[in-house]
Amino acid sequence: MSRTDRKEATRRRVLDAARELFETEGYDETTVRAIAKRAEVSVGSVFTSFPTKLDILSEVMGERLDELYDELDRVGHQLRGSTADRLRSLFALFFAFETRRKRLFLAHIAATYDWRPGTDARPFGRNERIKQVIRDCLARGVVAGDVDPTVDQEVVVDCLLAAYAWTYRLAAWEDADADAMSRAMDHQIGLLAKGFTPRAQVSALI
Amino acid sequence: MKHVATPIGETKVKGLTRRALAKQQTRAKVLAAARRLFSEQGYEGATIRDIAAAAGMSTGAVFANFTDKSDLFREIMINDLDSLVQEMADAAQKGRGLEDTLLRIFTAGYAFYKGQLPLARAMFSISWSPVEGKTVRSFQAVQKMVELISEQLSAAVERGELSQEADIKLRSQMLFEAYLSNYPQAIFGGWSLDALQNRAKDQIRILLAGAKRG
Repeated sequence: MSRTDRKEATRRRVLDAARELFETEGYDETTVRAIAKRAEVSVGSVFTSFPTKLDILSEVMGERLDELYDELDRVGHQLRGSTADRLRSLFALFFAFETRRKRLFLAHIAATYDWRPGTDARPFGRNERIKQVIRDCLARGVVAGDVDPTVDQEVVVDCLLAAYAWTYRLAAWEDADADAMSRAMDHQIGLLAKGFTPRAQVSALI
Repeated sequence: MKHVATPIGETKVKGLTRRALAKQQTRAKVLAAARRLFSEQGYEGATIRDIAAAAGMSTGAVFANFTDKSDLFREIMINDLDSLVQEMADAAQKGRGLEDTLLRIFTAGYAFYKGQLPLARAMFSISWSPVEGKTVRSFQAVQKMVELISEQLSAAVERGELSQEADIKLRSQMLFEAYLSNYPQAIFGGWSLDALQNRAKDQIRILLAGAKRG
């Protein structure tokens, strides 16, 4: 086994051990020493691969989200209905997926905002993949004719993600479940859709 | 007894005042030290012991004034948010038309925190915490910000700038979300005040589009 392979193997073991411990024990409750013990590596080699515990969590959650985005890429094309309805389905999928690991996601968001030297971890809310899934959804709407082509789609994406972040806070504040979050999101998508639907169609609806 | 009671009463009042003043000064000293350490170390990183040392007093003296770290941070947040709400309301007075007024409200917020982003960052961290998050939401100042936005929308409906079906409650909420959503750009992306303002302007326009008349 080459040096790089060994390094990669260690990294993998650490990530697998950490994922299990984070899910069973919780993020704050899991120490780096416990992760090392479970991965059967030294504490030192954990730190060789990851500067901080938050970086381990970030990587674990990042891998999970990659699975979600792959799924959305596949499902996204099969969704039918108006753009607003397709967006509602997408966000319902996000919430259903994330509530399964709600505590970990919340721990991750809170930790990325906190000030710890030595980590580059960032909140996931605005990463490129999630934006791309929404962008594709809007682009289909332009082709289908229910999204006004003159509307700045990046700003719509932005407003959707703002609503998404807020709705996700309901999970932290009110212990809302995926259904409650999806309902809250549905209303907000409806309001935004009135802004991005071509004028003529809005008048026709009224 | 009456003729002696008055001077004694006065001495007592003076003594209390002096003690109250000293207490107030101690609190102010602790708060200033805490503000600095929260900015430098984040919420989790700053300990009561460090804060006490920075304020030049014992941890006991800190605990005599604040029940715990979250109490301390809460006080800083409340003070800041109360001042900010006032600045937002003042900014709104100068607005011309709904979009401009909303943008002025948002900009007041971005300008306020621009010089103290680490503190804003710590506040965001708290707001996502399952335990502490609820206290942030229940701050009167936060509710007042949403109300301030919603007052602007109502006024715009009365002026005929927005339609009667403007769905003010949900729209105010979403405008507030958009306002908040730009902070991560400032915190992690280093966006300038101008960049934040331009983004906010576009967001406001989209969020009002469905309710505009004519």
